[in-house]
Amino acid sequence: MAKQRFSVPDMHCSACVMRLESLEDELPGVKQVKASFHRQEMEVEYDESHLTLDALLNAIQKKGYHPQPLD
Amino acid sequence: MESLWVAFVTGLTTGGLSCMAVQGGLLASSLAGQLEKDLSRQASQKKKTHPSAPSRHSAVVFPILAFLLAKLTAYTLLGALLGALGSLFELTPELRAILLFGVGVFMLGNALRMLNVHPMFRYFTFEPPQAVRRWLRRTSREENRWFTPLMLGALTVLIPCGVTQTMMALAVGTGSAAQGAALLFAFTLGTSPVFFGLAYLATSLGTRLEKHFNRVAAVLLIILALVSVNSGLNLVGSPLSAEALSRNALQALNPPAPGQIADASNTLTLQVRDDGYFPAELTARAGEPVTLKLVTDNTFSCSRAFLIPALKVQRLLPATGTEVVEIPPQKPGTTLHFTCSMGMFTGVITFN
Repeated sequence: MAKQRFSVPDMHCSACVMRLESLEDELPGVKQVKASFHRQEMEVEYDESHLTLDALLNAIQKKGYHPQPLD
Repeated sequence: MESLWVAFVTGLTTGGLSCMAVQGGLLASSLAGQLEKDLSRQASQKKKTHPSAPSRHSAVVFPILAFLLAKLTAYTLLGALLGALGSLFELTPELRAILLFGVGVFMLGNALRMLNVHPMFRYFTFEPPQAVRRWLRRTSREENRWFTPLMLGALTVLIPCGVTQTMMALAVGTGSAAQGAALLFAFTLGTSPVFFGLAYLATSLGTRLEKHFNRVAAVLLIILALVSVNSGLNLVGSPLSAEALSRNALQALNPPAPGQIADASNTLTLQVRDDGYFPAELTARAGEPVTLKLVTDNTFSCSRAFLIPALKVQRLLPATGTEVVEIPPQKPGTTLHFTCSMGMFTGVITFN
């Protein structure tokens, strides 16, 4: 399992939080997504053997956001 | 049964408008959130049009209905509680003023967030805990389109308008949970068409300006926030409210031409009408007790819930009749502010 934090500067209301967290149900390999509108960040816990960081970034971008990996 | 019909008609007429003035801010907040969400969804789906995306019509109608449904349920429960208690369950003017200030600050913060003034204003958005978010997401495909309006609708019980308070007092008077619930249900149902109509018109107008929607909504929220804070100031009899300031400014320009001067027995008569208190400026002699007669004649607006905050006088006037308030002797130069219980109508008594 890998954990990756992203800065998501274009989250502009708390509904974005739920949109991003729905990746939990939609993207195989994602275990948990914690997003925060207040901090403009999200943290994704995912299975590296099923999902690459690039594919994850791609999925977030498809939702209309521009994530920047942190750490 | 007749009282239920009266409650419904009162809601349909004066109740709807008066409550909209007080609670409209909460409804506007819930709609603002919903429309903002829809716009962001549409922006992200611009390239591929989503066939199942909710139409603009339903995007406006559902949150209004959810808000009204929650309001109806909350007030029905409140009616049951009031009837069961059979005792006065009233928020004090100070507590209501604090609530109005709170609502004002909440709306102002949200407006500043929408205008992207500073990141700290993001904290004015309520974020449900993660477990609740997950539950909501999984139970409803519609994301949280119901949650905010439902919660805000239920919260309207905390800021009842004057007419609602009249009905709440009546519910207490029934002394029965079932009758209290039925009474507030009938009244709140009566207010719903006015709420729905005004809210729908307001938001349909807003969606046409979709490019500027955030700014329009933010400006609207700022106006409502100021109205709310101003009502709070009136409720505590503050000289800083818009009404008090304009009254003082007018007096500075023209030497005082009081609306009414007390007669030989230091008695003042105040006409309490649907649109306020007349005359709004009264003058009495200092150092003597004052008899203030409050005259209602088919008055159904919130002006019936009469307050003198400085003296802690709080009266619920009959629809038609005369109520007497005895005011103890005051020092020369004293001004006593009076207001309706939501701070919408005001006036002042000057002692000299």
